[in-house]
Amino acid sequence: MSTVDWKNYEPVLIPNIKDIHKIDVYRKNGGYEALKSVLTDKKKWADQKSVIEEVKSANIRGRGGAGFNAGLKWSFMPPADGGPRYLACNGDESEPGTFKDRKIFEYNPHVFIEGALIAAYAMEITSIYVYIRGEYKAYIQMMEKAIQDAYDAGMIGKNIFGSDFSVDFYVHSGAGAYICGEETSMLESLEGKRGYPRVKPPFPAQKGLWGRPTTINNIETLSHVTSVINRGADWFKSIGAENHPGPILYGISGHVNRPGVYELPSGVPVFDLINDVAQGMRNGKKLKAVIPGGSSTPVVRADQLDGVTMDSDSLREVGTMLGTAGMVVMDEDTDMVDMLWRITHFYHHESCGQCTPCREGTGWLEKVMLKIKNGEGEIKDLDLLLDITTQMEGRTICALADAAAWPVRHTITRFRDEFEARCKKSVHAVA
Amino acid sequence: MPEVFIDGKRFEYEGEQRLLQFIQDQGMEVPFFCYHPSLSAPANCRQCLVKVGQPVKDRETGEYELDENGERVIRWFPKLQTSCNTMISDGMVVHTQETDDLVKRAQKDTLEFILINHPLDCPICDQAGECPLQIQTYKYGPEGSRFEVKKVHKPKRIQLGPRVILDAERCINCTRCVRFTDEVSKTHQLTITSRGDKNYPITAPDREFDDAYSLNTVDICPVGALTSADFRFKARVWEMNQTPSIDITNAKGTNIDIWTRDNLVLRITPRYNEAVNDHWMPDEGREAYRLFNENRVSRPHQKIDNEQVKSSWNNAFATVAEQLEGVDKKDVLLIGSSHASVEENYILSKLSSLLGYNEPVFTSHTEKGKGDGFLLTDDLAPNANGCRLLGFNEVDNSKLSGLAEKAKVVLLLNDNLVDREVLSEDQLNNTFVVSFSTNHSQTSKTADLVIPITCIAEHAASYVNIDGRIQRSFPAKETKYTNRRLDFEMNEGRLDRYGTNFDNWVTEENKVDCLPFWIVASKLADQLGVDGFDYGNGREIMEEISSTLAPFEGVSYARMDEESGIVLDQEKTTVKS
Repeated sequence: MSTVDWKNYEPVLIPNIKDIHKIDVYRKNGGYEALKSVLTDKKKWADQKSVIEEVKSANIRGRGGAGFNAGLKWSFMPPADGGPRYLACNGDESEPGTFKDRKIFEYNPHVFIEGALIAAYAMEITSIYVYIRGEYKAYIQMMEKAIQDAYDAGMIGKNIFGSDFSVDFYVHSGAGAYICGEETSMLESLEGKRGYPRVKPPFPAQKGLWGRPTTINNIETLSHVTSVINRGADWFKSIGAENHPGPILYGISGHVNRPGVYELPSGVPVFDLINDVAQGMRNGKKLKAVIPGGSSTPVVRADQLDGVTMDSDSLREVGTMLGTAGMVVMDEDTDMVDMLWRITHFYHHESCGQCTPCREGTGWLEKVMLKIKNGEGEIKDLDLLLDITTQMEGRTICALADAAAWPVRHTITRFRDEFEARCKKSVHAVA
Repeated sequence: MPEVFIDGKRFEYEGEQRLLQFIQDQGMEVPFFCYHPSLSAPANCRQCLVKVGQPVKDRETGEYELDENGERVIRWFPKLQTSCNTMISDGMVVHTQETDDLVKRAQKDTLEFILINHPLDCPICDQAGECPLQIQTYKYGPEGSRFEVKKVHKPKRIQLGPRVILDAERCINCTRCVRFTDEVSKTHQLTITSRGDKNYPITAPDREFDDAYSLNTVDICPVGALTSADFRFKARVWEMNQTPSIDITNAKGTNIDIWTRDNLVLRITPRYNEAVNDHWMPDEGREAYRLFNENRVSRPHQKIDNEQVKSSWNNAFATVAEQLEGVDKKDVLLIGSSHASVEENYILSKLSSLLGYNEPVFTSHTEKGKGDGFLLTDDLAPNANGCRLLGFNEVDNSKLSGLAEKAKVVLLLNDNLVDREVLSEDQLNNTFVVSFSTNHSQTSKTADLVIPITCIAEHAASYVNIDGRIQRSFPAKETKYTNRRLDFEMNEGRLDRYGTNFDNWVTEENKVDCLPFWIVASKLADQLGVDGFDYGNGREIMEEISSTLAPFEGVSYARMDEESGIVLDQEKTTVKS
């Protein structure tokens, strides 16, 4: 495996430019040139299709966690019929361990706005919604200001850059529900309803917001669109791991010396991220485990991580996923039972309650975990937990049940001795 | 014709069909809670999971690919599918719990989840005995429970509105009630509140669930979470008898079931009829059950010195005969009723023609603004169209009061004309009024003689609704002169079938001393010396009606039962002989 040259990588989403969040500074540094190019340079961009093809060939894999090719998703939109079409930008970012989109909102909002506008042009979209997590109050205000600035500069609105492309851009604040980060319940929420995920099919491209064709993309995904248009799909593909190309915003948190959001190519070795980028473990402790991409991705033991890189293929080999690349690093003092209880508590609190297995299963998981955490569990409870996860996985409308079940299944199987040590000794004679 | 294979059996189908509904229509079963044939399918209970596959087709030839044994190659969906929102497609292969262990396991798992936070208070729950959760747990559920931690506690005994009470702990969040107010009654009064295992249905803050159709949510609630404020704790369902009938509070002819125990009607629920009321009925119709129990006229009553006293049947018939013999025939007024059945009105008109009186008249009972375009109508009587098709003169209220004032004797079939202010007491001062009544009212109090007749819950008779559909009732309650075990029209309940005489309640006071109007009329005819006027039951009368009156041609009880009512040709008219 060739190692990714991450040390010489120059960040493009969060470049080291002072006040890049201001529209003037952004434009001085080549901002909105990509949008101008797709709207006016008919030689380079013959039509909307050519933009979609470029993005498709760049293989921007969805940064919201599912990892689906963004350009391919765009191509699912039916032909325009004169009615409204929507782009819903998912900035609900609520997964514990994930805080990358926030960085874009506060540091470089225009790179996202520009990407969203390009996407809207490519899919002939009439309105863009950016759905931002309700707790991100300050960032919602920043986004509103950035969008207003872009309106004032003529980047959003009627006949942008003199073309016949017109679009509106709205900010919508969430109200604190994790489930509204699920794409279809986000649409319900945008419509002013309870955030219940919808049954698919019909898929949002056919029947999305208010029953109209809708595409939903993550904030970071759309931000990458800007650089793909500026620098070309080949540039994007040349960065990082082959199957999951391009830069990624890694959100590193936990027991490291320098937690934060880092823009680096995909496929950086996990140990490099911990030891070099985040400058090593706090207080020189030993690494115990890593959750690579937000709380729902399975935890990995330190001894499994040799040579593992942050891309979907390499992580699949050790039984986990890239997710949102929100990496949680845990040192040797971490209590895995406590950690898992906290995760089950989160999913119990956030299950929307629509489907039976998730509504009841998440609560049951937490209650049994609490029992084990308090030293009142028995060995059979561990098997019960594994049984419950089996009963939940793949039997619900959305993936929240799976997201709640995976950490339980994998933390118990990978740290079973720790869990057994917390359980009461069996009182039953074996023979 | 496209085909589908379910549990190894081949079925043909037409059009767009939901898999779960199709399976049920074939007489097979898949357990479910949230699905309802008249509502959308949100697939949220996850109980109806089945294994679904599609045959693989060769892309070029379009032929099915075959394996080495010549069988079609099936591509299975990676996950189990909810059959309620899966549409059938050609060649689809389905395995239910009968043939697939994974499906069986998945259904058992879902039931285990549903039950962990359910109170399991069946012994004190009104739904027990007619509870889909109870029934399906017995059939498909786990045997014990592995849930050894604390259940979620939620509010109980919430008065959602004047007629519906919620026990949130029993709720399994199927959202049928919410979808009912969204999709059927369209008041949007209910929603789910809170999240996860804490959620339950509720109204907006400070709002009442006063939907005119609110009690339908009690019917469709698959557990005991929503109960009727009126009916709850009154009876266990297995002690009651269920008898099909027709709603008499308006002209829609909503199909209903009358639930009785010990000859008291305890509740009314809607009965499915796609052409009339689907699965629904207005709350108003349900409250009518009191009419069948309370304030009933039992034994004839005669006015002596301005006071009504109980009289004997013989005396009553003799009195009517005496009054009729003493007056000129044109001074006798017969008033039919849109509140009475086709058979009763027919008998009245037959009596008038045999005795040489004028044809009966009637007024409709309409209040503008009562209707809602759904199951409520402006016409508040069940059979105005029946009277019209019998050829009765429909007169307006002022005309009727004029006629009554002039008449010497009035024979009034069950219509509360005084209560409705069509007639006043003063107008009837010089008239001898014989009222054939089911219930005491201002009208019956005004009458000089009240002869009790059976109500819709006590006889089999038919009614023509606002759309010209003739439908019929069955006797649900015994009178003093009928016996459930001898009357073939009467339904048997569980206790009738399996219990001894001592297992059943038998309170004589609950049986009303009344006779069907046709028996009363036969006895009167006897008294008046008219021959050949002898009717035993509604079925015989309908046979005579259908063979003599053009609009009712071909109508019989058997056809009405088989076809859930018959639409009459309202263009045909009854030619008066």
